[in-house]
Amino acid sequence: MKKVSCIFIVDDDPITVFGIKKMLKSVTKCDDVQIFQNGKEAYDALLERHESNKTIPDVIFLDINMPIMDGWDFLDELIILDLKEHIIINMITSSIDPLDHQKWSSFKDRCPYILNFKNKPIFKIEATDLGLMDMAS
Amino acid sequence: MLASQISKKKLKENKSFSLRHKISNHNGTGHFKSYFAPWFDEKENVIGTIIQTDNITAEVEKEHQVEWLQNILETKVEVSKTGWWEFEIATEQLTWCKETKRIHHVPDCFEPTTAEAIEFFKPGYSRNKVSMLFHKAIENQQSYDTNLMIITFNGEERWVRITGKPYVENGNTVKVFGTIRDIHDEVMAENKVKEHQQLLSTLVDSLPLNVYVKDLESRKILINKGESHYINKSKEEIIGKNDFDIYNEDTAKISREEDIQVMKHLTPIIGKETAITHNGKTTHFLTSKIPYFDLDGKVCGLIGMSLDISSIKKKEGELRDLIKITSMQNQKLIDFAHIVSHNLRSHSANFSMLLEFLKSENDPTERERITKMLSQASDNLLETLENLNQVVDVNTNTSVTKKPLFLKQNIVKVLQNFSAFLNKYDSQIINHVAEDIKVECVPAYLDSIILNLISNAVKYRSPIRKPLIIINAVKSKEGVLLSISDNGLGIDLEKYGDKIFGMYKTFHNKEDSKGFGLYLVKNQIEAMGGSITVQSDVDRGTTFNVYFNEES
Repeated sequence: MKKVSCIFIVDDDPITVFGIKKMLKSVTKCDDVQIFQNGKEAYDALLERHESNKTIPDVIFLDINMPIMDGWDFLDELIILDLKEHIIINMITSSIDPLDHQKWSSFKDRCPYILNFKNKPIFKIEATDLGLMDMAS
Repeated sequence: MLASQISKKKLKENKSFSLRHKISNHNGTGHFKSYFAPWFDEKENVIGTIIQTDNITAEVEKEHQVEWLQNILETKVEVSKTGWWEFEIATEQLTWCKETKRIHHVPDCFEPTTAEAIEFFKPGYSRNKVSMLFHKAIENQQSYDTNLMIITFNGEERWVRITGKPYVENGNTVKVFGTIRDIHDEVMAENKVKEHQQLLSTLVDSLPLNVYVKDLESRKILINKGESHYINKSKEEIIGKNDFDIYNEDTAKISREEDIQVMKHLTPIIGKETAITHNGKTTHFLTSKIPYFDLDGKVCGLIGMSLDISSIKKKEGELRDLIKITSMQNQKLIDFAHIVSHNLRSHSANFSMLLEFLKSENDPTERERITKMLSQASDNLLETLENLNQVVDVNTNTSVTKKPLFLKQNIVKVLQNFSAFLNKYDSQIINHVAEDIKVECVPAYLDSIILNLISNAVKYRSPIRKPLIIINAVKSKEGVLLSISDNGLGIDLEKYGDKIFGMYKTFHNKEDSKGFGLYLVKNQIEAMGGSITVQSDVDRGTTFNVYFNEES
């Protein structure tokens, strides 16, 4: 089983969080999985880790529609932060609104991190979603 | 010398003769007439000459004067092209001068009779009139001076000015004399000018524009009907007045500045939008002012034209409102599409995912957990559907009728219904709404609006302050303004302003926040033709203003 050191799940829907956690179990082993209800909480935690030189998450599962700070706003803040670490961000949404897809593609161009777009429902998390591709090959 | 030769010759012939001669000396010139007669003796022999000399200076001078006057008269006739005629009553002799004949296009040898002369006048008015005038001149000794039409010998119709004057001796008319002048070209030119003026004034008066001409001092020197009608005064009352005499100070000032610009820099103003308030009514105009030049090319004023575009302006406003409504409804549609694409899908996605898990799950405890989540997902879906239903109801149910409702009474009723919730958080509510304020409202919507706004005020209370909610209502011409203020958390409107009334938007970490209440309230208010706005300071409080529109 490939290991990922730290994963953030940012989503206000407990069922989705449950699903992601369950699916993660079958692809990787990770001791540090953190759950956040909205972008603000996740950002605050990330900032705290960055400032105190703690492990920055390798992978972030990010919902778009959340209270207080939504997925887009979180991305904006993260781009400004310009972390040197390699991060994979998987945007998970039930939206099939083409506008959201366009927005994602414009973010992808200016985001220093890997930015994936995944439509719900998801049934399986791939190793590539966790950046484990090179180790598998 | 010539005279003396002639006289010698005559004397030799022994005949009598007379001679005119003049003598000039230091006293001036004298004219003389001398009679020469042979002097005979008894035998009829010429023995000398008898000379009788008369001084005829006065006579000669008179002759010269007559000659001179004749000269003047001829020159006058020639220059003024005025012919003369005279009619001797005793002999019934009519005399035309050369010019008169020329005017009639007849040869110099033509000698008309009275009847013929009258026949030259155009049948109808001209002929009848001249007959009458001529008759009156003879019988009543009345002079005349009038313009009539003749048909010349060549068949040309021409306007002439004729005069006639009786010459009276011992109370009897002995002569009638008068003048005739061809004024055809003048009359035609004058008629043309009159026609042009008529055309121009008809044109200017019928234009759907207010037209005016101003002099250098911005005094109106000419206006059309439109302008007079707009100012609501007669042309006579307006002519000579400037804008300060007609409009209020501010309007007049702006207008005068425009005038100066046009007349000083000779730059026309074309199609400028202006709004003028006159007699308490504001009219929108499309105004043009162009410099007005005299015949020497010097600016002597300006010509102004104003097109009343008030109705177009009004339509433009209506159109803008319509666009606003349309774009608002469009936004609602987008919200809806989003709800369908996102909120409903998220539930169905959860079902799919959980069912997939269930298929491959063998652990009974895990299966039970998944099943529990499935029923939770089902509940969530039901709630979302219910919300959607409410919104659809508000937006499509046109049959709901508004009723006049007492605002205060309804607020009190809602407060009673959830007093338990209010008491739980020790909320204080101050209701300043006057008893008699009524709003036109759908009863269920009014309840929902009050309930949502007040419960939000309590829900988003400050952790350090007890909730204090102040309710006010003001009646104005446009309708009733209800404001609900709290001392709660407040919200950063700069950050979330555009989202606060959005669907499923929440801004505070509260378990019971769904992001639906304000969305529903906004829909309900707008469905009734009203609007809602928000003011807020973070950690100070929030005020919602609800405008109930009376008209629609």
